[in-house]
Amino acid sequence: MKGLFKSKPRTPAELVRQARELLIYIDLNGPSREGKREEKMAELSKTIRELKSILYGNSESEPVSEACVQLTQEFFRENTLRLLIICLPKLNLEARKDATQIVANLQRQQVHSRLIASDYLEANKDLMDILVSGYDNMDIALHYGAMLRECIRHQSIARYVLESEHMKKFFDYIQLPNFDIASDASATFKELLTRHKSTVAEFLSKNYDWFFAEFNSKLLSSPNYITRRQAIKLLGDMLLDRSNSGVMTRYVSSKDNLMILMNLLRESSKNIQIEAFHVFKLFAANQNKPAEIVSILVTNRSKLLRFFSNFKLEKEDEQFEADKAQVVKEIAAL
Amino acid sequence: MADEEPKNMSMFPLDAKSYHIMHEIGSGVSGVVYKAVCIPMNSAVVAIKAIDLERSRANLDDVRKEAKVMVLLSHPNILRAHCSFTVDSQLWVVMPFMAAGSLHSIISSSFPDGLPEPAIAIVLKEILSALAYLHDQGHIHRDIKAGNILVDSDGSVKLADFGVSASIYESHPSFQWCPSSSSSFCNDMAGTPYWMAPEVIHSHVGYGIKADIWSFGITALELAHGRPPLSHLPLSKSLMMRITNRFRIEDSHYKNDKEKKKKKFSKAFKEMVASCLSQDPSKRPSAEKLLRHPFFKNCRSVEYLVKNMLQAVPSMEERFKDMSINSDSNSPIVKVRRVSGWNFNEDVLEMDPVFPTENDEKCTINCVQHHGEEMEDKACCPDSIVVEVNRINAKEGEESPKDVCASPPNSTAVPKQLLIPNLVSLLSSLDVQRVMVKNVLACCGGMAVDEEKLRDQREQQLLGVVQRLQRTVDELNIQLQQELRRNAHLEAALDCIKKKGSAEEGNESELNCA
Repeated sequence: MKGLFKSKPRTPAELVRQARELLIYIDLNGPSREGKREEKMAELSKTIRELKSILYGNSESEPVSEACVQLTQEFFRENTLRLLIICLPKLNLEARKDATQIVANLQRQQVHSRLIASDYLEANKDLMDILVSGYDNMDIALHYGAMLRECIRHQSIARYVLESEHMKKFFDYIQLPNFDIASDASATFKELLTRHKSTVAEFLSKNYDWFFAEFNSKLLSSPNYITRRQAIKLLGDMLLDRSNSGVMTRYVSSKDNLMILMNLLRESSKNIQIEAFHVFKLFAANQNKPAEIVSILVTNRSKLLRFFSNFKLEKEDEQFEADKAQVVKEIAAL
Repeated sequence: MADEEPKNMSMFPLDAKSYHIMHEIGSGVSGVVYKAVCIPMNSAVVAIKAIDLERSRANLDDVRKEAKVMVLLSHPNILRAHCSFTVDSQLWVVMPFMAAGSLHSIISSSFPDGLPEPAIAIVLKEILSALAYLHDQGHIHRDIKAGNILVDSDGSVKLADFGVSASIYESHPSFQWCPSSSSSFCNDMAGTPYWMAPEVIHSHVGYGIKADIWSFGITALELAHGRPPLSHLPLSKSLMMRITNRFRIEDSHYKNDKEKKKKKFSKAFKEMVASCLSQDPSKRPSAEKLLRHPFFKNCRSVEYLVKNMLQAVPSMEERFKDMSINSDSNSPIVKVRRVSGWNFNEDVLEMDPVFPTENDEKCTINCVQHHGEEMEDKACCPDSIVVEVNRINAKEGEESPKDVCASPPNSTAVPKQLLIPNLVSLLSSLDVQRVMVKNVLACCGGMAVDEEKLRDQREQQLLGVVQRLQRTVDELNIQLQQELRRNAHLEAALDCIKKKGSAEEGNESELNCA
């Protein structure tokens, strides 16, 4: 019905071009000349909504791949992505959400079986700097955060962020008082450190010293329950991944690390205890334990054995019991 | 009070010290809801949902998604969080305080037989407008029910609790959050079972926004009658019947002499509900379309709710106090009893606490009465639909003895107080059976005849029927198990494929970069 009254249905490429023109207008024109700007804003929101429904489909129709390809090509031909990211704080909530979903979707669109979004970001890596700094602004943090997580699906982009100075900032973002932002930052942090195995292994071995110093002092020893719980889980995920075996060997040879882990075992939180156990078992299972590690384990042997005799999961778990038996055996044999 | 501009959220402080907790107004499995004041904001009244992250069954990722959904949705009929922050191992979600509490609580305290139709229309219209927005945003609420509809003192109506909501835009389906602590059957299902749509039960078909429309229809019935249909049945049977049966607004599941005389619903209402409860999801109208249904055409304003509904309702504090006092004597055995319908209220926004023992007892007794009356009704009007319902009821009757047999061994060592409810339910289920048998007898050949031979013959027939029904029940059970297993397999396979997919993607981009 609607189609009958529309002057001419615009092609996906035309819609992208229109969005770009409107974004340029919004970007250049400040809040003066309210009336005109508001009109353009409304038009922009509408255009963004249309772009979204091309990519995701709507209640009447599924997305058409040919239209998605056209849209993607036009989007990355010029600097529309940059404009959209820069102008995001000026959009209203609904347009911001639509824009975020568009950016997320574009990362997965293939043109001639190539992810052209990756090529674009490769040439515009500074956009990542803008997205990461979004965590400083609670109004847009969740939008930029979601976009960022989608962009680091590309390995080269993830590598850029990992190797940038931004990595240090995450240790603070994770502990922001605002739960939705802190947990979003934490999800991004986890993604960065687990998604692309080879890149992560390279990053961790190159940056071992500062990274784990920060990780231990800021995250594992944080006064914040949720920070400790997420950090110990992430540590387990990283160290137990085969591609990080070099880093793991190094980690479990340090007395300081062992002490932190043993303190986490004593936590009143069962969840933290369990995650800590999955890391602690690596210390015990290490066949080349340094003398100082052995001495700590021997000194605390009876306490540890008593602890493990009462340490059980709510649900029975064979793997857990086997691991525990192995740890107990190792400690008893020292 | 419940006015929420996006900008307000930054104004609410993010530390526990800024809030003064007044008292508890609700509790659920994952936490407690408090009424509190925000001291630095002129002691504005708020509700704080305190979720114990240590005990919560949801993993942290689900909690994060819920918090995100609640912050990013902005609609007058959706309860939006002011802010959230952690306090030790608790997550505090600060929300507008909805002074009149949930509709479930309003109904159970003041409208046990349901709300008047004009009030239903207002509430449903507000909820539809929230649903239309949610669905347009690509979100599925997945737990629409009266317990999740909150009302403020000014009559404004908001949909709450996004604990199990899903986004069709998010790539990773995390549907495992189990709303029940005791039923392994629900492991893969989100939502509260009595409101759950058939295709959610058949979960391999996948969720769609039309599942919300179904739950919306069930909620309409709940508002009209004071409880959802089939809620007198044990859960697994309610689920089974959902798959095999149809509901209507004046369904026999509700029939009860008193109600029948009193309750007359408009044709538009019945038609609207019937369209929502179509077994085929594609035949259910969208929220957008439902808003244009004639039932909502002359809908009154929310002031009607203030005058006609809220005035009759005691304050939320009083309601909660009553519930707490009543429950005290029985609370120790809460966990021993079998699942009751209301026990599945995972949400904490539900302003009524859930006390299965109390409710359960009442429920069982009620259930017997309903059954009794229902059966007698049926016996005198031999209608084809009625016969079908009877058959299903008879199936149910076949199963109940098993339930009863299972319980005594557990309770042998239990003191008297604990035994009595069990015995009551045993007695009631025997009553039910007696009525059932009588009824089936009647169905098989009119009223019982005195002659011994005929009677024997009938008894044989009856036995045959009973055996057949038993077989059908068993078969259905097996089918259900198979479906569940197949579903698990499929999910495992899907996971596998996904993992492979992402691994390959990883490799591919690695190559690209090298």
